[in-house]
Amino acid sequence: MATQKQAANSSQKLMVFVLTMALYGLATLFTELIPSFQVGIVEFSVEYFLFIPLSLAMLFDPMSAALGAATGELVFSEIMLGQFGGLGELEKFITVTIGVYIAGRLVRDPRNRAMVGIAAFGGVFIQQLLGCIVDIAKVQFGVEDFEAVAGLPESVFATEGFAFLNDVLFSGILFCLLPTLYLVPKLYGKIEPLLGMQPRTEATAMEPIGAKVIVGSLIAFAAAMAAELLATSGFSVIDWEADWAGSGTSIAVGIVVAAALSVVAVLAIRKKGEQNTRKGV
Amino acid sequence: MKTIEKLSENILDKLSIDFLRSQVLKNAYGNNDTRIAAMDPRMLLVWYLFFGLVPWFVHSVPFLIGCFLLVAVTTWMARVAGLVLFLFAVGVFSQTGYLFLVTLLFGGDASAVVPLLTLTLKVATVSLASVTIFSGLDPDKLANGLMWYGCPERLSFSISYAYRMLPLLMEEFQNVLLSYRLRGNPPAHDTFGGKIRYLVYQVQIVMHAFYPLMLNTAKRSRTTVEVLEIKGYRYAAVNKEVKKIKLSALRLTNDDLLFAAVSFLWVAVAILIATLV
Repeated sequence: MATQKQAANSSQKLMVFVLTMALYGLATLFTELIPSFQVGIVEFSVEYFLFIPLSLAMLFDPMSAALGAATGELVFSEIMLGQFGGLGELEKFITVTIGVYIAGRLVRDPRNRAMVGIAAFGGVFIQQLLGCIVDIAKVQFGVEDFEAVAGLPESVFATEGFAFLNDVLFSGILFCLLPTLYLVPKLYGKIEPLLGMQPRTEATAMEPIGAKVIVGSLIAFAAAMAAELLATSGFSVIDWEADWAGSGTSIAVGIVVAAALSVVAVLAIRKKGEQNTRKGV
Repeated sequence: MKTIEKLSENILDKLSIDFLRSQVLKNAYGNNDTRIAAMDPRMLLVWYLFFGLVPWFVHSVPFLIGCFLLVAVTTWMARVAGLVLFLFAVGVFSQTGYLFLVTLLFGGDASAVVPLLTLTLKVATVSLASVTIFSGLDPDKLANGLMWYGCPERLSFSISYAYRMLPLLMEEFQNVLLSYRLRGNPPAHDTFGGKIRYLVYQVQIVMHAFYPLMLNTAKRSRTTVEVLEIKGYRYAAVNKEVKKIKLSALRLTNDDLLFAAVSFLWVAVAILIATLV
């Protein structure tokens, strides 16, 4: 029994998912609402409460915790607040999942404090690095005539690079490393029985990270990148637009007439419907 | 002096957790009687797909202005909570205004304004469209709409769950936080050093408060999942019959068609103007 892998059954996975989603969702909701304040260009913000999914991923099934955290952030702070940013959210979803999952897999014995610390910091580092790469790519494709604007390319690298360092060193240590080091040993052995599970030990942990995980993460990151660039680039569409703008006003007039006709048609249907209901009564 | 004190007290009051809570709840629950909320989620999602994607690909300023005006009107129709609009403004500025300042710092000049202005217009249009949909629709309806389009059942479950659990979770978090404060002994915060110590102390309390909250939520999520199991949730989630029954309440009405048609007309006129200019 003791040598069995820590394989949760699917309802326990759902429990971990719900738990992480609710907690991390609540935390991101607050961070979304609390304004950050800046001293000079150093931004002091409770950037995120990533320590919650990190701790839970170290104690429970990492994949469920990682997916729960990403979903929680999406649902609570984006959809409930109406801040949903379309395809761009996919990138955050994937980077958070990768960061938390890898951190969770790194820890084989949650009682080993050094390992917990390294994993927590590593998780933040990975997540921020991926986000930073995507951000730079995004601005390069989002602005028209990017290279033509004087001073813009350097400024993007500078702000993004600085934000990355700021997030990793400031938020990473203060809001991820220290709370995780505090919470994991404290929760160990206490929270698992609440979900009906055995605490993770060296013997029951999953195998160390193999090539499969790394390749999987890279593929997922490529997907995130593709989604982000799809949302912001669209060079072929610009060409298409130029064509269509050149072909003149007649097509545009045609579209307007079609649109006006559809409005009239809907109004007519509505009027008829009203008459019918009156007749029917 | 007294009025100033009162004023600062007022502002601090506004920023309390209670205020945040009421704003969030108002946003999620408080506008079920608007026109936008009464519409069919499937139609609104298609609408959002257009206004969330197309502005990114188009660089024509008249067209972008037209789209922006339209989504501004729909946002007004959805009666979005003030705090969300404020966050929207801050978000748009921090995305592009900040970049502009840094561009100036690196020796850029006024020529940087035009592309950045287009970018701002794009960002504003896309985020207002999402504010309209995701804040105007009640989450349950949104979940059903997403499900109709074949989104994973997990996502729509999460939205419905979050919608119901959020008030409970917030209250519990606040209670835990208050009980920590009650037992704690905050450092004096008259001097600057004391203020920093006080801030650190506050942050520490928030972190500590998550410990009991985690245990409580673990217990609750076990109960939730067990109840779901009793009702055969995991079986129902993949069953087509169940999905059909669940989605039978969705209905496309004349209002929806009118909304779509008017939006279409507006966009068409914007395109016409864009070609004329």
